[in-house]
Amino acid sequence: MKAIVAIARKDLRILARDRAGFFWVLGWPFLMALFFGSIMGGGDTQSPMKIALVDRDRSDYSRAFGEQLRKSEALEVVDAPLDSALTLVRRGRLVGYVSLLPGMGQSLGFGDSSTIELGLDPSRRAEAGYLKGLVTQALFQSMQGAFGQGGTGRASVRERIAGLESDSTLAEGRRANLTSFFTNLDRFLSSLDTVNTAGSAAGDSSGAMGANLKVVAVAEQGDGPRSAFEVTFPAGILWALVGVCMSFAISIVHERLTGTYLRLRLAPISRTDILAGKGLAAFLAALFATGLLLAFGATALGVRVSSVPKLAVAVLSAAFCFVGLMMLISTLGRTHQAVAGAGWALLLVMSMTGGGMIPLIAMPPWMQTVSNFSPVKWGILAVEGAIWRGFSWNEMLLPVSILLAVGTLAFLVGARALRRTEA
Amino acid sequence: MAAIGVRDLRKSYGSNVAVDGISFEVREGECFGLLGPNGAGKTTTLHMLVGALRPDSGEVRIHDEPDPTRPAVRRRIGVAPQSLAIYADLTGEENLAFFARLYGLEGGPLEERIEMALEFSGLASRRKDRVSTYSGGMQRRLNLVCGLMHDPSVILLDEPTVGVDPQSRNLLFDNIEALKRLGRTIIYTTHYMEEAERLCDRVAIVDRGKILALDSVDALRRTHGGPPVRRVVEESPHLEAVFLNLTGRSLRDV
Repeated sequence: MKAIVAIARKDLRILARDRAGFFWVLGWPFLMALFFGSIMGGGDTQSPMKIALVDRDRSDYSRAFGEQLRKSEALEVVDAPLDSALTLVRRGRLVGYVSLLPGMGQSLGFGDSSTIELGLDPSRRAEAGYLKGLVTQALFQSMQGAFGQGGTGRASVRERIAGLESDSTLAEGRRANLTSFFTNLDRFLSSLDTVNTAGSAAGDSSGAMGANLKVVAVAEQGDGPRSAFEVTFPAGILWALVGVCMSFAISIVHERLTGTYLRLRLAPISRTDILAGKGLAAFLAALFATGLLLAFGATALGVRVSSVPKLAVAVLSAAFCFVGLMMLISTLGRTHQAVAGAGWALLLVMSMTGGGMIPLIAMPPWMQTVSNFSPVKWGILAVEGAIWRGFSWNEMLLPVSILLAVGTLAFLVGARALRRTEA
Repeated sequence: MAAIGVRDLRKSYGSNVAVDGISFEVREGECFGLLGPNGAGKTTTLHMLVGALRPDSGEVRIHDEPDPTRPAVRRRIGVAPQSLAIYADLTGEENLAFFARLYGLEGGPLEERIEMALEFSGLASRRKDRVSTYSGGMQRRLNLVCGLMHDPSVILLDEPTVGVDPQSRNLLFDNIEALKRLGRTIIYTTHYMEEAERLCDRVAIVDRGKILALDSVDALRRTHGGPPVRRVVEESPHLEAVFLNLTGRSLRDV
């Protein structure tokens, strides 16, 4: 085992010092993921939050609230019925929905019972908090608009005062009390016009006045990518595995040609140890590159992983498959040029047909059939299954099994071919 | 007892016979030369000796062990291959440490061996530099000491002075003579006569996969060198004359 670790450490050290090799393992996959992700529309982290507005109250006040919400530069508001809004949130197309329940115009969004419902994915906590603030801000602005100069609320109060004076059914004492109340209310509302509430923090307003928002958890179904990067990053991961595969295949040829492989063979270790050391180095390099890609995608570009255990299984099996292919490719020629040429030709065809260049979801049906013969397709499918396809363990079984089978077969054929070259 | 025994060793690649029934023995502590032109079968013989190639027939024994691929036997063999079997992107020290670890060396003993190897090869001052920055001679010296890290009793040197400057060659000769003094058994392949004359106790002249003659340098001179050349001062023929008489004078590269 110590010899295997020593060989793996040596190979990783050499890879780290080989700028060209390092570029193919890490730089190229990053470029592919970022470039294609950007031209395909990128993520939605920089653009306004997309939400649906479901107006079930259909009052003047709810319409005014909707207008306030649309004025926010932080939001992109689309009108939708509740069922459509729910579906869009579940599919991750929208951050959430704001539903204005019947009675909202009367309660103005405050009071004991909620008349505004927010449908949000519980996993999107940061966006949810921000959206609550924006909704509360719009609520206060609507109320100010309604009761401010020329607002419908002020007119309503004045109409009420006029109505009291002409109402003969009221007792005099009660009329005087009500007239006094509404006159004072009108004065109070007039004084609000002088208060500039535009700059007030939405969150603060919420806390002070207690807008009653009902939050409904809407779990995403994961049946679609939430951003272009969730499509390009799995492809980027496969490019990283292709880069690792080629770098190590060429390193095996290099060792055979320079004589270091002979020295390894003459050490008191088995051929299996040597190949295991090489495989371990390639495997660790693949995991490193994959981990870095995923970490960057998740933190900087909003790529979200539906299931970490499934992603781990997908990445491990894909890395295993490409380590096996590495062994096979290293025996496709006797020189660097022969192995590099044959290897890249083989892997490029696999990548082109397997979704490394054209996303699997964008492929026409005939191409999807062809892609079944490419391990790249199964690698991408497994990783996408864990990121946005929402695969169950049963659904993961097929791509993972194919990856493991191809990897094992390729490794055995490659190891056998390598042995024959030594005879 | 013979440290190395080879009996009727044969190896062919298709119709090309690389080694054709070679037999010899190397005594403990002896420096044994395999002298021959390019393509004579020297390297193929060495590779079969260490188990890197499987012979078509014949037998190899190292310290009376019939299987050179056994780990216990491999621990007793050190090899400096003809091609530079070192990693250009690692430093000299890292190369030494890596190859030593393959033989189970660790900790203090590993550090000790690295220091000794660096001193032995004259590379101590460049230990932290990548091998790609070394001169050809330095790389040859490193190639030699990488095969000695586990202190083997049998050392196989395959044309260790190819392409090196005279200074490095002299240091390599000094290194090999030091190994002889330490009682190591050495097989040395070369096509340079003066190297065989200087270093080897006995020499086997090999051509087309066969041993044409095997004896001490002086005995070979007497047996195959032809009549002494009469000059102002009488002088025995050089080993080169022996070699050319036995293998012919035509170029083999054509």
